[in-house]
Amino acid sequence: MIFVTGPLFAGKRETIRGLLGLTEEEFAACAAWDVQERALEAEPEILAEELSANRVVIATEVGGGVVPIDPVERRRREAAGRLACALARRADTVIRVCCGLPELLKGEWP
Amino acid sequence: MFTLVIGGSASGKSRYAEALVQAQPGPRIYLATMQPFDAECEARIARHREQRADKGFETIECYVNLNEAEIPRGGSLLLEDLSNLLANELYGPEGGGAEAILPGIEHLLERCANLTVVTNEVFSGGSDYEGDTLHFLRELAALNRELAARADRVVELVCGLEHVLKGERHENL
Repeated sequence: MIFVTGPLFAGKRETIRGLLGLTEEEFAACAAWDVQERALEAEPEILAEELSANRVVIATEVGGGVVPIDPVERRRREAAGRLACALARRADTVIRVCCGLPELLKGEWP
Repeated sequence: MFTLVIGGSASGKSRYAEALVQAQPGPRIYLATMQPFDAECEARIARHREQRADKGFETIECYVNLNEAEIPRGGSLLLEDLSNLLANELYGPEGGGAEAILPGIEHLLERCANLTVVTNEVFSGGSDYEGDTLHFLRELAALNRELAARADRVVELVCGLEHVLKGERHENL
């Protein structure tokens, strides 16, 4: 599994799709994105295991701001961070995309 | 040489970018985008302008319509910063919208031997924003991606340290 992380609107999907040379249809069939929004659905390890069935898993970095005042938002953000760590552990390759530029954090370039 | 410098608040972007341009041939131009709204702004701007004059920069102010700015040919220009310029174009009384910015950058690239643009990493704090903030972020991110694709070098500043996302490392910064 390839795990892709990076800031909001950084071009994560387009960049990894381009690296893998996939059409949009092919990509949609083997990728899960915005998984940070699913972080409260289950325990991070369980969710990460389930998501690892995909060839590509993409999560947006959401932990770079001030701690949210709203308790649910706080839990969501915390869970998103734990999920990203669990995904990165399972991934063969981890790529961070910033401004549409990919950077290898773990493994080898696909 | 076209360099894009990105980083979070107080990550050392300005210091890095100024040092970079100081190492480039003159004339050195600082393109200031911050509009003075009151006396406090003006005092702050005047102080920064003096500091830069000591470093060999001429300051040109440009809040909107970058493509009409009069820029000396062949120099090294530092544009600081892109998010300020975007806010002026989107929300200022004389703003021409986000689409005014890329032609302005083209104009700078035509005139200057070296261009350095400073922009902000403000995209890692979630997407739960009031009002027009998300729209602003989307427009800024699109500009960042476009400029990153065009740039020879893209450098992220982390705790004042150069983290190269594209191009060569810089030996002395």
